[in-house]
Amino acid sequence: MTVKIVTDTLSDITSDLAGELGITVVPLYVRFGDEIFKDRVDITSEEFYRRLVYEDILPSTTQPTPHDFITVYEELAKETDEILVIVVSSKLSGTYQSATQARDMIQAKCKINVVDSLTVAMGEGLIVMSALNAVKNGANLDNATEHTKKAVSRSHLIAYFDTLKYLAKGGRIGKAQGLLGSMLSVKPILTVKDGEMSPLTRVRSLSGGFDHLFGVVANAGKLESLAVEHATTPADADKMVERFSSIYPRDDIHRSVISPVIGTYAGPNALAISYLTAE
Amino acid sequence: MSQMKTVAGQELRDMFAAATSWLEKSSAEIDALNVFPVPDGDTGTNMMLTMRSTMEEAFRAPDHSTAGVAGAMAKGALMGARGNSGVILSQVWRGLAQGLEGKESFTSAELARALEQAAAMAYKGVSNPVEGTMLTVMHDAAAAAKNEVENGEEDVIAVMEATVEAARNSVANTPTLLKVLREAGVVDAGGQGIYTILEGALRYLRGEVELMRLRKPQIIVSELPHMMPATPTTVVDEVPYGYCTEFMLKGEKLDTEVMKKRLVRKGESLIVVGDESAVRIHIHTLDPGNIVRWATKLGTVHQVSIRNMDEQHQDFMEMQKERIPTADTAVITVAAGDGLKDVFASLGATAVITGGQTMNPSTKDILQAVESAPSDKIILLPNNKNIILAAEQVQSLTQKQVQVVSSKTIPQGVVALLSFDYEADFMTNAHIMEHAITAVKSIEITRAVRSTKVNGLKIKRKQPIGILDGDLVAAGTSDADVLHKILAELGMEKAEVITIYHGEDIEAAEAEEISAGITEKYPNLQVEVVRGGQPYYSYIISVE
Repeated sequence: MTVKIVTDTLSDITSDLAGELGITVVPLYVRFGDEIFKDRVDITSEEFYRRLVYEDILPSTTQPTPHDFITVYEELAKETDEILVIVVSSKLSGTYQSATQARDMIQAKCKINVVDSLTVAMGEGLIVMSALNAVKNGANLDNATEHTKKAVSRSHLIAYFDTLKYLAKGGRIGKAQGLLGSMLSVKPILTVKDGEMSPLTRVRSLSGGFDHLFGVVANAGKLESLAVEHATTPADADKMVERFSSIYPRDDIHRSVISPVIGTYAGPNALAISYLTAE
Repeated sequence: MSQMKTVAGQELRDMFAAATSWLEKSSAEIDALNVFPVPDGDTGTNMMLTMRSTMEEAFRAPDHSTAGVAGAMAKGALMGARGNSGVILSQVWRGLAQGLEGKESFTSAELARALEQAAAMAYKGVSNPVEGTMLTVMHDAAAAAKNEVENGEEDVIAVMEATVEAARNSVANTPTLLKVLREAGVVDAGGQGIYTILEGALRYLRGEVELMRLRKPQIIVSELPHMMPATPTTVVDEVPYGYCTEFMLKGEKLDTEVMKKRLVRKGESLIVVGDESAVRIHIHTLDPGNIVRWATKLGTVHQVSIRNMDEQHQDFMEMQKERIPTADTAVITVAAGDGLKDVFASLGATAVITGGQTMNPSTKDILQAVESAPSDKIILLPNNKNIILAAEQVQSLTQKQVQVVSSKTIPQGVVALLSFDYEADFMTNAHIMEHAITAVKSIEITRAVRSTKVNGLKIKRKQPIGILDGDLVAAGTSDADVLHKILAELGMEKAEVITIYHGEDIEAAEAEEISAGITEKYPNLQVEVVRGGQPYYSYIISVE
């Protein structure tokens, strides 16, 4: 039986793509006050960002419950006995906790490995897709897990934030604290390092951001995959794709939308670039 | 929304019970705000435990009047006060109880008066009050309540709203008042605790009990730029902190004032609070035995706690390691004008040496800044062509590694600092910053000191003139006129951001006018006006 792959909505693998690939995506929760939504199940990205900008209530996010994972595991266990779960960085969310707790609680006889992606967004999504390729090429659970762990170390994410306002409000500023309080309007470029958001540099404008993101990817060496995501500005992401097409086949560039859960911290107008370096 | 003109004793109790649960939710996060040396390690936990004891007593009290509940709270707080913050908090409740003495219920005016007394009592408990702490927050909150009442507000909820708002702003402002907070990039933990308690009480009054169950208090983020500590944080290891000593003294006719005088020279962070029959003492001392022995002569000693702060400090340093910004590479820059200095500091410069046109710092000045920076790898941004040489001299005078990035103007210095790459190593960063300089055009506008002819321009004394990247290229009738001449020459197709730093003699309104003029002519540009406060140059303008 083939290994089934499970991930969370932070991987930015859309439900359409998930259906196409045969992956199960478990949603996190987004909360505005006492209204609770399943990420991109009960609330669309568009609606989320509209409320983020226009409402006073700052949304908060919560990991899926162990029960959410149990339900998924039990369902998949009907058709397979090997499940590979790839989740968002355990330093950014408790999803890993829920996924492993659920593994220890299920009744069904099924082997489940949970891998901490140590990243988020398409940084995580590209790892999932790489794992899926391994499975398609016949890897069993142990081999696929091994492959995934290696992919984790090959995965990189760089993001351009239009503002640090939301990151600061959400209290997830962490090591990016030093970026706060600038007297000039600056746009931070952040990366995920050791599973956490970490500052990379600062630019003054979107095109400065483009230049920096492009420079990082252009110097990254040979790539296995590349993804471009936007929060609210698809046209900017399209421009970024256009620019990357000079160094990477345009049709192979994955496009997605930054999940509302990440949007809570990234704010509108953010862009994120993820890539896996080649093995 | 309905008004609440009086509040009864039971509501007083319930609102602070709700506030206690509210505080519990963020006590761990408040703990994380601590900056050493702090009198007690875990401000959030200590305040939370103090509140628990406060409320347990309030629930035990048979008298449900306002005075009865407030009195019981004061007693419970005193009995259960933990740490410096807890003891100060107990003073708050004591002052509040005094303010509400004899009251069955209370009005907004009575609440404001009681808060004022609470704040005053908090200050009294501390032998050496420091601003930028929970004392300031309590004071500001009480002042806002008083102000609201003086404006005729009778609704207790409205008064509490103003109080909480003031507390919030006061917390956000604590780093301005206290350098240690600024350096750590956090707000005061005790102040955050006071804010959270007041906010919890307000939410209860508003009837948000359900919502409180779902939500969490927010930790206020410091709005000030995060400054590097002036001294390496590891050096403090050598200073002994002694023992944090706390106990409760029970007796008769105890006099806190006399005790305070007796103890004040025995140690630091002294707090003596209480009444004639029970006094709580908190002190950091090198000889705790001596103090406890002295106390046993005055009465019976209870709840003695003596903790080794050097050990606490060790633990703290371990905990802090991750939070201390890596001072791997330090950037030192040169600027004149308070605004420009703030700009550089806010962008992460470790030190800003005073200097610029006509007041070049000496090699010695620069060397001093290099030697005192908490890093062995220094990048220097001279921001003036006449300072580059002095900066380069420093390389041979210090053991530290020094790279001079040849920034010749303030805008060049700013873009260089902005481009600093947190992940790159020392030399790479020096290259990145050197390269970044080419991406900016610098315009400086000043007045001619004498009449002259230069670059085909006939210039009269005191006439506005414009310098583009070091070359005098324009003269005109006004600052705006000169600026527009240069911008027209530059070709603005590729420009995106213009930053206008206005000088010490230029009013903000004047600079805004210049900014509006640019926007009108170049509507696609992002124009930003910042007070530079620099001498000589009415405007320094960066075009990126």
